[in-house]
Amino acid sequence: MKSNTSRRDFLSAGLILPVVGAGSSLGLLNLSAQTPAGNAASAGSAASPLKLSYKTLGKTGLKVTSVGMGCMITSDPSVVTRAADLGITYFDTARGYQHGNNERMVGAALGSKRKQVVLSTKTEARDKAGALAQLDTSLSELKTDFVDIWYLHGKSSPADIHDDMIEALQLARQQGKARFVGISTHSGQAQLIPWMVQKGVFDVVLSKFNFSSDTDLEQAIDAAAKAGMGVVAMKVMAGGARSNQKLTQPGALLAALKWVTNHPSVATTIPSMTDMDQLDENVKAMAGPLTADDHKLLAAHLEQIQPLYCRLCGKCDGTCAQGLPVADVLRFLTYADGYGQFALGRERYLQMASEHVAARCGDCAECTVKCPHGVHVSKQMARAQELFA
Amino acid sequence: MRVFHLALVSILLAAGVARAQDYLSCQLAPGWTQSEAVHSYTADNLYDYKDGGAEGYLIYGFAGMKSLNCKSGDNTLTIDVSEMNDADAAYGIFATNRDPRLPIARIGMGGQVQPQSASFAKGKYYVEIVVNAADPNLIHTAELQALVDKMAHRIEGRETAPEALAWFPQEDLTSSNLVPESVLGLKQLKRGYVAKYKQGQAFIVLEDSPQSAAAVLKELRARYDGASDAKVGDEAFQAKAQYLDGICIFRKGRYLGGYANLPTAQEAATQSVKLAARIP
Repeated sequence: MKSNTSRRDFLSAGLILPVVGAGSSLGLLNLSAQTPAGNAASAGSAASPLKLSYKTLGKTGLKVTSVGMGCMITSDPSVVTRAADLGITYFDTARGYQHGNNERMVGAALGSKRKQVVLSTKTEARDKAGALAQLDTSLSELKTDFVDIWYLHGKSSPADIHDDMIEALQLARQQGKARFVGISTHSGQAQLIPWMVQKGVFDVVLSKFNFSSDTDLEQAIDAAAKAGMGVVAMKVMAGGARSNQKLTQPGALLAALKWVTNHPSVATTIPSMTDMDQLDENVKAMAGPLTADDHKLLAAHLEQIQPLYCRLCGKCDGTCAQGLPVADVLRFLTYADGYGQFALGRERYLQMASEHVAARCGDCAECTVKCPHGVHVSKQMARAQELFA
Repeated sequence: MRVFHLALVSILLAAGVARAQDYLSCQLAPGWTQSEAVHSYTADNLYDYKDGGAEGYLIYGFAGMKSLNCKSGDNTLTIDVSEMNDADAAYGIFATNRDPRLPIARIGMGGQVQPQSASFAKGKYYVEIVVNAADPNLIHTAELQALVDKMAHRIEGRETAPEALAWFPQEDLTSSNLVPESVLGLKQLKRGYVAKYKQGQAFIVLEDSPQSAAAVLKELRARYDGASDAKVGDEAFQAKAQYLDGICIFRKGRYLGGYANLPTAQEAATQSVKLAARIP
């Protein structure tokens, strides 16, 4: 069993992950980038060969570039078209993105290149009929007869996945509307992914996964890859591109992407991209291994955020001598400090049991809560009490 | 003093919450009753509710969301009210998520009512309503129209779309919107308005100053081999690009604007002259 401490030490030490993982085939191909006419400066890689790395998406056998494209917030179709021209082979959208407008944009942008790429979409429907109806709409909007991967969108627990949803997935495969099927998940992976492996009907898992992820998640992902399930990673920048946990150091975003693309259990990734420069930068993640400098950048970021950044892993539950719901209080504090939502943080704080609202961390000589991620719990709790109580 | 400020902020925010409860009520929809407590979401837990779709809210400048579930027999009605950072952002996310094949109705700054769903933006609020009915073929348009009318009446804020959208020439216009990041897929054009036409697209970006606008224009021009001067606004260039086809970008004071995806650079320049003339 790996621990989070050893994981941080691993990053700090600047050790380099193996590039080739067990059970995956990875090759480096040198392809010349198509130079966009009249756009030479944007294609910084155009003058030199563009290196694309490919992996096999588990037992599906699909060859995918280790950097794929998350299309969800892309507004201009030219970025999707250029990604396909550069050789990126994995494109991800969902029925619910922009209320269906995103699928329409992606379908139009890929155009004749559709059959040359792996295209995935998702359904958030909660019953068989609804899901299959959504799939038909997706195919129509994406202008294709089939999707390569069809996901049940955003599941957190086996209890979320009813038998009729699995029937919908199987029927879609039988009808040739989806070549492979899977589940996308933002939370609860430590329970959900082993269940998926055991169930044996899912080809791919699309999971939040990045350098700051909990070890339990990494173990679940490793086990899935070992069982032949294709692993696609999302939220690969750890919120570092657009959240209040921004990766501000030059090169840190690329390092975060490289951390995932070089992970032996991950076949591909779907970073969101909105512009040509971002696309060109992300493609560079396929050019080489994670370096010692990359490790240092990520380790420094973890050190910076860990005293404040509650990952909501819940491991502090039940460890407070005063019985305080520590993870909840830290979340309420994040509402105020992280997102400027003081009223919401206070509202939620005051909804706790009266004895919890009245408790003060200063009453304890020593804090019994030890965060495995290094969050300074007593200091943060005291701040919440000062702010809200 | 700090305590006083905190108290003042609390009172003001509490007033905001009270207003939210005023328009976020199942009682506004006759026959529907509240089935569970109102859920609140912020940027850090919106994924719990919207999954990957959360990013689409965050990129527009998302402050928070309140979600209410109502019940009538086996049918459920979900009302999500998102508070965005400003009214432009609220209109932007509405326009991005709306069905571009249907017209925009005059509900707040703009809205749409469909058989099983409705949405509108007013002030800094973006409202989405969805009916999950046992019979998916049942039409709820009239019921939803009545509900959004009541909600829009109670929500405070601006009722007009962003002013810049009116500057785009209206002929052959198919849709227009606020793009929160990378207009035309170009990082330099950070945030601005885009109008799609039967052929081509136009854009308007407001920079901090004429100097910063000039610097962006210079940077953009350097991207395109063979770019040449164009006589539009204060300064401009036109070029032919692989992904944006015929393109022209001009500066007028603090504004950058232009056309792209037209067959030739000259056509883009010709259209840009018309756009520049409409920018005050």
